[in-house]
Amino acid sequence: MAPLRSQLLLLPALALAIGSASWAGLSRSLLTQYGDIARAVGNSSESHNCAKSILTSDRLQVVVTLSAFFNDTWEAANCANCIKNNSEELSNSTQEFMDLFNKSLTCFEHNLQGQAMDLSPNNYTEVCKNCNGTYKNLSDLYNKLQRLNRHGDESGHSAHLCIDVEDAMNITRKLWSRTFNCSVPCSDTVPVIAVSSFILFLPIVFYLSSFLHSKQKKRILILPKRIQSNASLVNIQEKYS
Amino acid sequence: ELPRPYPNEIPHNEKLLSLKYESLDYDNSENQLFLEEERRINHAAFRTVEIKRWVICAMIGILTGLVACFIDIVVENLAGLKYRVVKDNIDKFTEKGGLSFSLLLWATLNASVVMVGSVIVAFVEPVAAGSGIPQIKCYLNGVKIPHVVRLKTLVIKVCGVILSVVGGLAVGKEGPMIHSGAVIAAGISQGRSTSLKRDFKIFEYFRRDTEKRDFVSAGAAAGVSAAFGAPVGGVLFSLEEGASFWNQFLTWRIFFASMISTFTLNSVLSVYHGNPWDLSSPGLINFGRFDNEKMGYTIQEIPIFIFMGVVGGILGALFNALNYWLTMFRIRYIHRPCLQVIEAMLVAAVTAAVGFVMIYCSRDCQPIQGSSVAYPLQAVGLALFPCFLPTPGSYNPMTLGMFTLMYFFLACWTYGLTVSAGVFIPSLLIGAAWGRLFGISLSYLAKGSIWADPGKYALMGAAAQLGGIVRMTLSLTVIMMEATGNVTYGFPIMLVLMTAKIVGDYFVEGLYDMHIQLQSVPFLHWEAPVTSHSLTAREVMSTPVTCLRRIERVGTVVDILSDTSSNHNGFPVVESNPNTTQVAGLRGLILRSQLIVLGLVPPQVFVERANLNLVQRRLKLKDFRDAYPRFPPIQSIHVSQDERECMIDLSEFMNPTPYTVPQEASLPRVFKLFRALGLRHLVVVNNHNEVVGMVTRKDLARYRLGKEGLEELSLAQT
Repeated sequence: MAPLRSQLLLLPALALAIGSASWAGLSRSLLTQYGDIARAVGNSSESHNCAKSILTSDRLQVVVTLSAFFNDTWEAANCANCIKNNSEELSNSTQEFMDLFNKSLTCFEHNLQGQAMDLSPNNYTEVCKNCNGTYKNLSDLYNKLQRLNRHGDESGHSAHLCIDVEDAMNITRKLWSRTFNCSVPCSDTVPVIAVSSFILFLPIVFYLSSFLHSKQKKRILILPKRIQSNASLVNIQEKYS
Repeated sequence: ELPRPYPNEIPHNEKLLSLKYESLDYDNSENQLFLEEERRINHAAFRTVEIKRWVICAMIGILTGLVACFIDIVVENLAGLKYRVVKDNIDKFTEKGGLSFSLLLWATLNASVVMVGSVIVAFVEPVAAGSGIPQIKCYLNGVKIPHVVRLKTLVIKVCGVILSVVGGLAVGKEGPMIHSGAVIAAGISQGRSTSLKRDFKIFEYFRRDTEKRDFVSAGAAAGVSAAFGAPVGGVLFSLEEGASFWNQFLTWRIFFASMISTFTLNSVLSVYHGNPWDLSSPGLINFGRFDNEKMGYTIQEIPIFIFMGVVGGILGALFNALNYWLTMFRIRYIHRPCLQVIEAMLVAAVTAAVGFVMIYCSRDCQPIQGSSVAYPLQAVGLALFPCFLPTPGSYNPMTLGMFTLMYFFLACWTYGLTVSAGVFIPSLLIGAAWGRLFGISLSYLAKGSIWADPGKYALMGAAAQLGGIVRMTLSLTVIMMEATGNVTYGFPIMLVLMTAKIVGDYFVEGLYDMHIQLQSVPFLHWEAPVTSHSLTAREVMSTPVTCLRRIERVGTVVDILSDTSSNHNGFPVVESNPNTTQVAGLRGLILRSQLIVLGLVPPQVFVERANLNLVQRRLKLKDFRDAYPRFPPIQSIHVSQDERECMIDLSEFMNPTPYTVPQEASLPRVFKLFRALGLRHLVVVNNHNEVVGMVTRKDLARYRLGKEGLEELSLAQT
């Protein structure tokens, strides 16, 4: 009993720590570790008494909690999106994407290695030039996958791709734009400011013209039919004088 | 010295009362026909009537929930479509350059959608403009606002709110839900549609103002409940607005309608989202979950919350004051429909431009933890920060501050346009933004201790801002408690709202009350102004009064009704005295609508001068109910010269026991009687039961407590 429980405790924690999101392998890590736990829990629930004695025998009910945690993470990460049905392999499109991703990483590494030590470390023009094609292919494939995913989804929500694919794309984008500074900076500031100033100017023109040209709406007062004392009549007149 | 001539024409201001608003006929006219009908209906039939009331309330709840679902689903789809188009365009142009085209596209898209929304409101049904809550407040107060509960108004309102939200204006869709609920209630309870000219011949007992008003309260509550997922808040909203004509049975029925409304919305939306019976979206607005364990509050934070209430009150007063000047300008100068449409389009374009520039300039972009809810698609137009989510993610204070400022002015500018739109969501957003900013700065000061959680302060800021703008107290507290699903926060929210109301009221009124005043509606407050005991009924009443005799010449009646110089709707009926020099005693009260039905139903009921009863067909109460609510004008009734000489006996149709008040009664006393009973006409009599004057709503609403004391509003033609 005790060795089984300690195994269940340590393995998932370690696995997630190592196979974490920064290596874009969350689904695969979950698959390998979760698969073991799912099997372990599944086997033990075959006979109910046995299941009860293992699963709920301690105060913390660690196994149940962890199993629930894995389930939830699997759902939230949408891992099912990149795993082939009922097997432990990645689907074709995901495999294609991961290959292209690895290719991009190798291209980056290759071009970075080529830099001599005496060159300024911030000069990434080589990388930008040589890996541009690969990066563009990766980007296009990602957009295509997103579009396919959106169309294939029945509910109105914008569904996500599997987290591995998303993380991979994010890593590449961060490297490309932030670290290597390869993306072309937007030189659009001037036209944007010009157009937005024009748009902001239009209401001022509108209000000024309506103030000057429209006839002001006047109200016709009606004298009430009342027993009026002179005092109240004078009051009302004073107000408008 | 001679007094100056009384000025005839003045520019519009808020110290006017319009003649076009009449009171509802809430008080029942217990004439002989009504008493006969009462005698005919036996005990079992009354139980049927009671069951029918419950059935109507259930139908009101279901239909309101369905309409809310419809709005939500259509907005989600259309806004998602627009968002995708703009996003694809931005993505395309980011690489190539030329982002100004994206800006133009976004602005044009916004402007064209809002143009459609504004055109339908401005040209087809102007009463559907704005949030609808001021109009419903007036209706529950007893004022008959023309066209406010018609089917056409409902259609325009629903389409208008969808187009405003999709068009990217800084608006919300909750306020229009309340108006829609009220219209649905008014429509269903009559059992027929005058616009579609179909009569289903059911619910004929309820075809009068008394019943309709009660059902409209239920409809408004169902609307609040669908909008916020707050059934009890909805009941309290109706209670707060229509309190003086309340009865306990009504409370239970209204609660029933609200519960059914939120249940319908919840189940239909969960089926639509693919998780049937998930029941996780009880209202159109979702605040996120506030867990007690993670976010409690301590007693040391109460003064901080009160301070936030003060800030909310001040900012709310500022918002209302700016909106007041803007609305005054709009009423005076932008009164043609095409100008109103152009203004709405310009606001939409500017909203897009501001949003675009903010996204362009902001450097921080964070993934939103949790599910990909369509928050940005609620078409704020700006990169919406879901400030409520109790996430530890920290937003850049600079961006948050800019967002608050921009959105404050945009929301202030947008409210009052000729589009269907609400102001709840924008106020909540502004408050949540500065509340979160407050929380972030507090956590810097407290060096990151646990209790300074920005999410909690975002909630309090939202409550403070909303309270500062709309000044609702009881109902808003309960609505926020129910919407956040957390009763613990009820106490600080209540403190915050009270503080915001006290501070805000010192400067300027609440937004809805201000707009009611600007529309010159004769709104009666909860009590008469406090210093008015010196005024008596004699000074308040209108005199002389046009009276009819009990047996009156038809020609006189027609002439009185056709008189265009005065628009009387109620005529005291005095004893037919052959000696015409004496003022006769009061015998009853008859309404214009009743006289018109008498003239309409062929053949007319006459008593020949020779006392021969030429009664060919007896009028029944059903004839009056059938003509309700749109009575034709007197011009459509043709009376020949012979018929003019006939006499008509009003005894059967008049209300033989109208409420009267002696002329020495003080203004507060008259006010209390009038308001508590929901009267339309109150006859002022002297010691000998002779009619000396009449008090109507306009006579009472004239008196208001202004800054310098008691002031009197003037009547104007609008």
